[in-house]
Order: sequence, then structure tokens, then C-alpha cells
Amino acid sequence: MEATHTLPAPSQAPLRKRWSARKRRSLVTGLLFISPWILGFLLFNVYPMVKSLVMSFTEWHLRMPSVWIGLTNYTDLLQDRRFWTSLANTTYMVLFAVPLNLFCAFLFAVLLNLKIRGQSFYRVIYYLPSIVPVVASSMLWMWIFNTNNGILNAFLGYLGIKGPSWLTDPAWAKPALMIMGLWGIGNTVIIYLSGIQDVPVSLLEAAEIDGANWFQRLWYITIPMVSPITLFNLIIGVIDMFQYFTQAYIFASVQAGSNAQRLGAPLDSTLFYSVYLYDRFQTLRLGYAAAMAWILFIIILICTLLLMRSSQRWTYYEAEGR
Amino acid sequence: MSASTAVQLRHHIAPRKMLSKILGHIVVFTVGLFFLVPTLWMFFTAFKSRTDVFRFPPTLLPHDIKEVTLDGQSYPLYRVPVDGQVREMARLKVEEGNGTFVDPENPEDVVVIRARLAEPVMTIKFHWHNFSDAMNRSTRPGLTVNFWTYLKNSTIVAALTIIGTLLSCVPVAYGFSRVEWPGRDLIFILVLSTMMLPFQVTMIPLYLVFTDTLHWGDTILPLVVPAFFSNPFDVFLLRQFFLTIPRDLIDAAKVDGASDFRILLQLIVPLSKPILTAITIMTFLWAWNDFLGPLLYLNNPEHFTLAIGLQDFQGQRNTAWNQLMAASVVFTAPIIIAFFFAQRTFIEGIKLTGTKG
Amino acid sequence: MSKRYWRSALALVVLISLFAACKAGGTTSGTGGAAGEPEVLRVWITWGDNPAQLQELFNRYAEANNVKVEVNSPVEDDKVIAALSGTEPPDVLVLGGPDNVASWVNEGLVTPLDEYIAEYGIDLDDIYPAMLAQGRYQGKLYALPWGSDTYGFYWNKDLFEEAGLDPERPPETMEELLEYADKLTKVDENGQITQLGFVPDFSWGHMEQYIRLYGSFWFNDDGTKVQLDTPEMAAALRWEQQFYSRYGAEEVLRFVSSTGEYDSSEHGFMAGKIAMMVDGEWMVGDNFIGGLAPDLWYGEGPIPYPAAHPERKGTNTVGGTVALIPSGVKDKDAAAKLLAWMMTPEIVADEMVANFNLPSSKKAAEDQRFYENEKFVVFMDLASSPNATYQVFTPISSDLLDELDLIEQQVLHEGADPEPLLQAAQAKLQPMLDEVVGK
Repeated sequence: MEATHTLPAPSQAPLRKRWSARKRRSLVTGLLFISPWILGFLLFNVYPMVKSLVMSFTEWHLRMPSVWIGLTNYTDLLQDRRFWTSLANTTYMVLFAVPLNLFCAFLFAVLLNLKIRGQSFYRVIYYLPSIVPVVASSMLWMWIFNTNNGILNAFLGYLGIKGPSWLTDPAWAKPALMIMGLWGIGNTVIIYLSGIQDVPVSLLEAAEIDGANWFQRLWYITIPMVSPITLFNLIIGVIDMFQYFTQAYIFASVQAGSNAQRLGAPLDSTLFYSVYLYDRFQTLRLGYAAAMAWILFIIILICTLLLMRSSQRWTYYEAEGR
Repeated sequence: MSASTAVQLRHHIAPRKMLSKILGHIVVFTVGLFFLVPTLWMFFTAFKSRTDVFRFPPTLLPHDIKEVTLDGQSYPLYRVPVDGQVREMARLKVEEGNGTFVDPENPEDVVVIRARLAEPVMTIKFHWHNFSDAMNRSTRPGLTVNFWTYLKNSTIVAALTIIGTLLSCVPVAYGFSRVEWPGRDLIFILVLSTMMLPFQVTMIPLYLVFTDTLHWGDTILPLVVPAFFSNPFDVFLLRQFFLTIPRDLIDAAKVDGASDFRILLQLIVPLSKPILTAITIMTFLWAWNDFLGPLLYLNNPEHFTLAIGLQDFQGQRNTAWNQLMAASVVFTAPIIIAFFFAQRTFIEGIKLTGTKG
Repeated sequence: MSKRYWRSALALVVLISLFAACKAGGTTSGTGGAAGEPEVLRVWITWGDNPAQLQELFNRYAEANNVKVEVNSPVEDDKVIAALSGTEPPDVLVLGGPDNVASWVNEGLVTPLDEYIAEYGIDLDDIYPAMLAQGRYQGKLYALPWGSDTYGFYWNKDLFEEAGLDPERPPETMEELLEYADKLTKVDENGQITQLGFVPDFSWGHMEQYIRLYGSFWFNDDGTKVQLDTPEMAAALRWEQQFYSRYGAEEVLRFVSSTGEYDSSEHGFMAGKIAMMVDGEWMVGDNFIGGLAPDLWYGEGPIPYPAAHPERKGTNTVGGTVALIPSGVKDKDAAAKLLAWMMTPEIVADEMVANFNLPSSKKAAEDQRFYENEKFVVFMDLASSPNATYQVFTPISSDLLDELDLIEQQVLHEGADPEPLLQAAQAKLQPMLDEVVGK
């Protein structure tokens, strides 16, 4: 290896000389290290993206030649009532379920941080549901939501409230799914818990001495300090919720077994974007499904960019002292 | 502050603190119920009989009709209204709406009335055999497949996924953090942006490639092989962690003449044990629970993983709920046990993965 | 410097490719195997409450023909598409219903069977015409029925007796059904329903029964026209609607949704909460009422007909399981031979007796075992009645059924008028059908 010497500052070095042998070698090293990613990117990202984009402009057949139809899939989509329903349903979840989950996760983390006895026990209880297999938990909750026999309405009955038909009333099916989603946020709770515990005690003590009550300490210190966690989980949450599939699919397939309810019952209120896309895939409308996928991608891109833009206003990074 | 004021203050603080402590207890407990009750329900349903799962009104503990033995045969016990009285009698049979009841102590005493007028006598009964039934539920006798097969497959998939993830993400993350090369940060933004790609966009072409072109249909390869090419999430996490390793350490090693690769292997990796453990746990949980992948690619039950194997209990017009819950308990038990013992590691790991966002 | 890295990377790549080669080779069954190894035939069945019994049945063929038959049952519907479009489809695919066959034929995924009929001795005359019709599309035969289902009327005799009705006398006409439902519906002081007489959309497979009873169907016989916008369709929906509107649709929904799972003893009918229902013949078997509610005192018979048309008494739509050969199968002859064996009367009889399904073969129907269960006999009679009819399927069947399902929900559960909804659906679906048929 050469003896170390200082390189000229990049702004001063002439253009030609920038690509010295050393720089070239470091480029090769870098690329070598990330080669698994490069290969994966090309194979599993670029290629399928291009192919599905092409597919979205065709009427794709499996054992027969496909037909190029230009923008027809897209124009059909815009006139498809069920497309708009599925988009509305999914947007509903993104707008309500994601903030709800984050809010509750933070709240529960605050609770789990209280200095009371039995916290390690409570932590296990809060976390456990998030590792129950999704098939089992979906079915379990379907049973809990049963209108007259389920324990939720039985419990509400004790309080004198007549519980709604959670799974058969279109107005209540999505809230039911949100409640079920809330049951599995143990993972996020633990993350927030760690974040809360990372808040420097000195800051909190100083505030307490200055006369701030628990709510003020929470609002002005803790919440800003965990804002990076919030941002990260918000973005990931939004991206994931746009692709919401598994629970809705299981609900639908269990219900389809009993009555003539098809995917999205009741009255298409649980027809989420991903579920409808899968349905198009299953009915062999592959070009159509590909078009749906691309529209979803664009929506997610826009939302993520918007979120990141706005985040500069409300996130605080201690390390960067912003 | 005078001594008396201090004493006064302490008396004021104490009840306030007590109140908020009690309030805290109540709230934490109540929220805890929301998490606990369904879990308990799932657990106890695993012990119920098929008809007990949906009995109304619902009971937490498994119940079944009490039985009584006469002449070596078991008969259910019912409350039968006879001549204005209610007697507990064994039911021998039901025919055309009429039930034949017999006094267990005096078998000569026979009563025949409309079956619907008699109420069953219930008692608590745990059906332990649900567990063995579920595990051995041989749903494809021609292929000798049962739950242990699914367990095996899930383990293989999870193990391979973990290996692939660790093997690929570590060098890639290192390449993006501690190796200097032109364009590095720009390409990293590209890596991050792929996280926004919904699986639906790539799902169909990938499916066609895996099944039609590569003929990997119905194997676990489509599930496992992509893990060996790193994923943006874990790369991101590892990179963040690597960035916290002091530069001086690395520079010192460079001065000693170590190559980038040796630095990675002998310096960085040992230092990264906590984050690597965290990623192992997270990847395990993800692979263990992955539903859509197996749903798409696995057709032959011989290759099913637990996640979709559980769907087995949901037959065409049937759902064996009690067995499903029993299987789920078995499915989740190892994780729960691990969590109990490794709670610290678990939480540390989750903390590492979530808080460096 | 990165030599070690490259060596390990290379080793990994080699490992993966070996793995891949192994797996790819391992999953090839079908016409495989070295000389001397028995050929493996794969049969996929989408339903299957008793896979062991199915495997046993097919083992008889395996032994007699020195092959191996692997039965995969039950199979999720989604897997079926994957298999059909892949390179390793099962040799014989058995479906619960023919709904999708037409659309699969359109995609070139199904083998036409006409040339194999004579060669392998499949006796088409032995098969009930109504059942055979399910597998025909555009003049060719693509699927053969393997047993069938039909629907009948069930009533709870205990509840009849309690309500002062003669337990042995079910309603004859649809109008009478409404009257009986009134007597059998109980509402408590709070306005909550505690017992319902009849829920028209309680089970699946009801709509086709009603529309046939009203004298029409949503496709015409040759599958070229959509017939949703008809007075018969509207009349059928309005008749159904009454059962909801009389007692308050919301209350009815609450009550129905609180009844249990289809296969549980808390099933609305089995638990004695719903007094009458329309459902399939499998209900009398051990997987359902026989096993879950053995004490139930109930009767079964033909579905009530509209009073103005007594000639339609006993109308029922038969249909159900069909078997086909995917177009991607390599050894079609072996598959056809297996299919022919499945169609022989003895095999049909054995299989249908075991599963409480109706035989699709006339000769099999002579087997006395079908007549041992008096409850099942009712369905045997229904299937061979002159009024037994069938459903018409087209490639847009699943689109139409989706639309119809939504319409039904809106009419019954929300009290909407059927006519405008049917018109809208007609306008949407007819062009779709025209496009597909025109090809």
C-alpha cells in the first residue's frame, strides 16, 4: 500500500486528475461490497418494474400471445367503480389507522414507562399479540366481533351499549379492522418505549424543577425527542398500509366459506386496493393488475415525498442539533 | 424552606403521588386487558370441543356436557322437566324429535318427551387431544404431510432467510458506510427509494419469472433466494449502526495495513453483535409469519410453511377452530418462551432497529 | 484482498444453483421417473373434508394400473390458477363448481375432451344431461361432472310444532313460505329478533334456485345474452326483499350475523334460530347436521314454487363438482384414462355415497346405498325430477356473480329498488359478454 499522503482538496484539484487510480480502486472496492445489492436491484427491482410497466399496457395472456392495448387498462381503471372504492377504502385506512396506531403505540409506551409494579409483566402482555400468526389472530378477532355472540358486544352490553354488527355493517367493518390492527402494535410500543427511555433524564429533571407538570414535560420534551421514531414509523406505516392485504384477505376468505360473501364484503367496504388487485390477478386480468400496481407506486412515492418534506418542520434530531 | 413547611409539603405530595400511582395502575391494567383477554381466549379455545367454541353465552373456560356411565357406555346428562319437577337424567337417544331419558340411579325409570324441552348439564372439560389432533392432522394422506412438515419447512425458510440476510446485508451496509467511493451516498438514496416500491408492482413479473422461466414454482427458492441479495431495510439499519463505530478504530486498522474486507470481518462484525442479533430476531419473525410469499409460490402441501399451513384448518366449508387455535399456540410458543428468557436482548434489539430511524 | 470474499461468494452461488437444480428436478412428477419407476399422476381436488377417503379411492386405480396417484385435497382456489398457468399442472383437476371453467377455456388453459370420450369409453348417455351441460362451452366438452349437488328446502319440525304449525306439512308455495315465516319469527319487547322464520340469502347457491323457479336465468341457454334486466329477476329479488323489510333489515342482519359459522353447531338452522332454509344435499351428512346437530328434528323437501306456476314444482338446479384436464398436462392419454375410470358407475357410486353427494351417473344412481338414508332420498328424487335444470356459465360468470351479489346485498340489506340496479349491471355486462363471445 502507498504511504499516506494528503490528497488535494477536491475543489482545487483539476477535473482530469479527480479520477486518480486510488479513486478508481476505491470505486471498484465499493461496488464489490455492494454487489449483492446491485444484482438484487437489477433482478428483483428493475427488471420486474420494467416488465410490469410493459404488462400494464397490454392485455396479458398466459398461454396465448398478449395484445398491446396502450392506455386502455388505465382508462378502464378510471371508469371502474370498484377501483375507486378500493382506493377510497385503502386511503381511509392510511388516514385513520396509521395515525391511530402511532398515537396509541406512543401512549401505551408512556404507560409502560410508568414507575409502577409489574411492568415487565405488562410489557410481555402488550407485546405478545404482535407475534401471534396473522391467520390465527384474524380468525380470532372475527369471532370476537360476532354481533350477538362475540365477547366485544357482550362486554358493551354490560355497559348498556348495543354494539353494532361489526363485520356485516359496511359502516363498521373498517373500524373493526382498525381495532384488530391495534391489537398487534406491540412491536411499535417497544420501539417507542426505548425511545422514551433514551430521553436524557437531566432534561426532564430540569423541567420538573422549573415547574413543568407531567403533561408539559411530555409535550415539550419527550414527544420532540422521539420525533425521529415517529417519522420513521409514519413513513413505513403509510407505505405498508397502502399495501394492506393479509388481514382483509383472511377475513374475506373465511366469510366466503360460510355465506355467499365475496372479497370485500360487506358491500365492498373491505375491498382494499391490494385485495382488488389480487382479485384481478386471480381472474387472469394480469395487465389490468399491473396497471393498478403502477398507480399504487406513484401514489406511495408522492405521499412519501410529501411526508419527508413536511417532516423538516416537526422532527428534531439531537445529534444534528437542528 | 422552614422545617414545618417542608413537612407540610411532604404531606401534600404523598397523597397526590399515591393517587397518580393508583390511576397509573388502573390505566395500564385496563389497556392490558385489551391485549390479554383475546390472547387468553385464543389459548382456552385450543382446549374446547368443536361444538363448544361458539356456544352462547360464551365462556372463557372450556365446557362440555357432563356425562354419566351406564353399562359401560357414556351418556350425556340433561335436566328433564317431569311432573312439575326438574330431574337430572341420562339421555339414551333422540328419534324424530323425541328424547328417551333414563334415571342414572334407577335405569328402569324411563321418560320420553320432546328433546327440546331438556337442558344439558354443563361442566368444565379440557380437551387436551386437540393439540395432538392438530399437530398430526394429516391433511394429505397420499403425501404424508402433517403439521410437523409445516414446522420443518418454516424453520428451513427462516434459517435460510436469516443466513442470506446477514451474509448479504453486512458487506453491502459496510460498503455504504465505511468505504469511501464516489457516488456512494447518491446510490444509497436509490437503495432507500426502493423501500417505497409496493410489492404489487414486482409481484406479477417476479411470479412469472420464478415459475415459468426458472421453474422454481412450488419450491421455497422464490422465498429464500432474494434474501441473499440484501434488503434496503436491514442495509439501512446496519449502515446507521456502522456509522456509530468510531472512525479512529477503523483508521488505526487501516494504518496497520488491513484491507477493507479484513476490517469488516475482524473488527466491525464482532462489534456489531447487538445489531446483528436484533436483525436475526426481526428477520426470523418476519420469515416465520410471511403469508403472501408462501401463498403465491407454494402449491404442494409438502412445501407449505406454518403461516399458510394454518389455513389448512379452514376447510372448504369447515373451520376447525379449536385445532387452529391449538396449532397457533404451538406455533407461537417457542417465540413466547424465547421472549421471556431473552426479554432484554429482544428489547435491546428492537430498540436498536427502531430508534435509529 | 477480496479473494476470500469472492471465494465464499462463489461457493454460495454454487450452493444455490445446486439447490435450485435439485429442487427443480425433484418437483417434476407427471410423466417422470426412470424406466421401471411407476408413473405418478396428480389429482387436485379443491374441496375435501375427508382427504383420506379420497386418497384411498384413487389408490384402487393406482394398484390396478401400476401407477402412483397423489391426491392433493383440499386446494385453495388461488393455487388452481397458479397450477393451470404453470408448467406442472395436475393431471386431473376436480373443482367444486364449474363457474370458472369457461373463462379458463378462453385463456387456453383447459383440454377439450371430445377426442378422448370414445377412445377411453366414457359413456356420455349414462350422465344426467343437466349435469353434463355444465362442462360444455361453445359446442365442445371441457369438463365432466363427478357427482353433483342440488338444493332443497329444510324446516325445523320442533319450531313448527311450537308455532302451532303441522311439522309434517312444509309450505308449498313461495307465498305460503312468507306466511309461515311470519308465524315463525319472534321479536322480544326490545324489538330484537330472537328467532327468524326464513332468511332467503342465508346460504350460497340460492339465487340460481329462485331465478329458475321464477322461470328465467341470468344467461340465455347458449351463453350469448345477459338476462339481468328482466321482470323475473326483479320479481325474485323483490320476493327475497320481503323477508328483510317485514322485520326491519337492520335487525335481521344483526340476528343473522350473530348466528354461528357454517360448519358449527351454532349454524343458524342447526341451532334452532332460523326455522327454514334452502341449502344443499350435503347438509344431511355427517359433516353437517348429521354430525353437528344429530338431535335436530327437521324435514327436507323441494323448494316452494310460485303459486301461479304449479308446473314448476320440484324445480332445482343441479350442478357441482366437475373434473377437467389442464392444457399444460404432458401425458394427456394417461390423464384421460384416469378420468374415464373416475366416470365409471361403480366409482361414482362409491365416491358419492361416502360424501353424501348425488351421483352423476344414472347407473350409479341405482345403487341401493343411496336410498338407505331417507333424508337423502329426497334429494335423489329432486335430481332426477323432470324439473331438474342447470346453470349456464360464460367467461364473464364471475364478473356477473360479483355484480349480482352486490345488487342482492343492496336490495335485501338496504331496501333498494332492484330495477335500476339490474339495468345498470345489464348495461355493463352485456358488452363484456359480446366482446368475449365475439372472439
